[in-house]
Amino acid sequence: MNTLLFFQNLVNPDVNVPIVLPEFIIAIAGIIVMVYDSFKPAKQRITGAVSIIGLILATVATFWLWATPGNPASAFNGMMVTDNLRLSFTVVFLLVSILTILISSVWVENEKVPAGEYHALLLFATVGMMFMASGNDMVIIFLGLETLSIATYVMAGLRKNDLRSNESAMKYFILGSYASAFLLYGMALVYGATGSTNITEIAAVLSSGESAFPTLFLVGGAMLLIGFGFKVATVPFHIWTPDVYEGAPTPITGFMAAGPKAAGFASFLRIFAIGFPLVATVQASALLHESWITALTMMAILTMTIGNIAAIVQNNVKRMLAYSSIAHAGYALVGFIGAGVATTVTGRDEAIAAVAFYMLTYAVTNLGAFAVVTLLAQKNDRRTEFEDYNGIGFKSPVLAFTLSLFMLSLLGLPLTAGFIGKVLVFRPALEAGSAMLTFLVIVAVVNTAISAYYYLRLIVVMFFKERTTDWIAPKIPTALGAVILLTVLGVFYFGLFGNSTIKSFTKSPATTKPATTQNAQLK
Amino acid sequence: MATALFFIFAGFAIACAISCVYHKNPLYSAISLIGVFIALACVYLTLAAPFIAVVQILVYAGAIMVLVVFVIMLLNLEEESPLNRLRYLYGIGGALGLVLLAQTFFIFYAVTKNQDKNLKPDDSVGQTLNIGAAMYTEYLLPVEIVGILLLMAIIGAMIMSRRLRRAKLELVVDNKEE
Repeated sequence: MNTLLFFQNLVNPDVNVPIVLPEFIIAIAGIIVMVYDSFKPAKQRITGAVSIIGLILATVATFWLWATPGNPASAFNGMMVTDNLRLSFTVVFLLVSILTILISSVWVENEKVPAGEYHALLLFATVGMMFMASGNDMVIIFLGLETLSIATYVMAGLRKNDLRSNESAMKYFILGSYASAFLLYGMALVYGATGSTNITEIAAVLSSGESAFPTLFLVGGAMLLIGFGFKVATVPFHIWTPDVYEGAPTPITGFMAAGPKAAGFASFLRIFAIGFPLVATVQASALLHESWITALTMMAILTMTIGNIAAIVQNNVKRMLAYSSIAHAGYALVGFIGAGVATTVTGRDEAIAAVAFYMLTYAVTNLGAFAVVTLLAQKNDRRTEFEDYNGIGFKSPVLAFTLSLFMLSLLGLPLTAGFIGKVLVFRPALEAGSAMLTFLVIVAVVNTAISAYYYLRLIVVMFFKERTTDWIAPKIPTALGAVILLTVLGVFYFGLFGNSTIKSFTKSPATTKPATTQNAQLK
Repeated sequence: MATALFFIFAGFAIACAISCVYHKNPLYSAISLIGVFIALACVYLTLAAPFIAVVQILVYAGAIMVLVVFVIMLLNLEEESPLNRLRYLYGIGGALGLVLLAQTFFIFYAVTKNQDKNLKPDDSVGQTLNIGAAMYTEYLLPVEIVGILLLMAIIGAMIMSRRLRRAKLELVVDNKEE
């Protein structure tokens, strides 16, 4: 081959370091933690501190990307983007990881978990989540998802001498790999239909109606729905959730319910709401849009109803929270559908910001609840049944009152974060004005009422049931106290002043023109 | 010439696949599977994809099959009589086979119907040089992410397979036990 010709045909890699700075910092922090741990193993305080410093630096970098004008809107040939979807979800992931490290400090100490490896895994899982939100290319999204999933499979099984933890890791691994296969197949079919893995280009092909194979689009879209539906735990792909959440160590359960679910929603939104837009003039696009909106509406209704009804009959607090997390995925789907049916770009961005804000409020509330559950569960998660909570209300008022607050926020009581989150995700669907979506919102509100039963049940159990056995209130360690304080403040802050947060989530970063157009000219 | 070669290799692949399913001894099945992989690699070669052909032999016929054979040896599988309670699986397998066959015909139909005459497969696409060039230019970022992914998979495997630090294994089976 002609060497000169070969060099002329090379594509510019379009490297831009600032745009991947948050991901880069976390990956470096993960490697530092790992290398440090290999020389001085099991120093929980130091590896934990390094991880938290890395996460805080990455948060600073994220806000810097948001506020500073002049960064390109996309780099690496359009594979990475900077928009409000990416940045707002990234903030959620970083917060979840910081809180998880603090919550798990008790558990790492009590059960002699290999701290360095655990912190490294958590950081790499965070990198995966961030790439899922920032990737504008299905290749990046899939790699991010796999990085996240493999780290989570291992973390679910970290309690190696507990059969339930083994079961949890095994189930999650096998079913998760199966779902990844569906996702990958869907991506391959969409690639086959459009000839591109880039989401912007997929949207362009769909809008122009150039795609020769609309059937491939439909089948590929369905496969993607199954894969993402599994990752965010929606009915009917939710069967794994209760077992995995119950068996995994409690801090990891909190992480799984908050972080990976939000990451799943980030790339789910990116592919469906942005990649498969409605262009009424093109028949294939209209058909695809209508199909996925209808399918998601069905899934949302089923998810909310089945999640809430199944949660009522649970006797284990972790299983109850697992079903509650399924129901919350259903509420978030309502906002997702709102983003899908939005007719303007501003409307779509507002609905996306609403979903991100919902995941933020859910993460704060849920991690707070799991912090209390971790402390009450004691070693090896022995005390997680409802009857273990009998009558502890006045013996340990701090824990009981904060847990009650988190339950009320999950329920969506006004003045708490959960209320504002629910209002914001229901609004775009209601504003769309179609009968199907109005029905969807009505189902969601009825479900909120149903969910009062099991959230209030825990409060009743704590305060009004008699305890037959002796119980000594556990001492609250500093790290866990910090988490409880932060999450309680968060619940009130987002509940009272949520507007300022949602406004900044809606704000798009000031970016220069995408570099891709320039690159295309080069080719 | 190419057509003749294709039919020879494809025929060999199908024969090996049938032998893989037919043999009761798992070791014979594994060896038949190697035959399938090698035949497929030859088909890739005729399709101007030498890189995939070599990777197919290195990874599948080499690494993965060695693992499979090791597992078979270590597990010491005995010849089992067919399980009657799994009879219903034959039906499901047959149905899935039919679905796959239908899919094949659909792809054949779709491709012949929408034949894109402008499509000119570049002869150099499958070459190692071009794959390497694409990996380190256009797909630089994914390659880096794969690096993180593999590093983390190694750590994960180490954690899962390592011996417990505490010698005594206390199994927590029931959460009610003290």
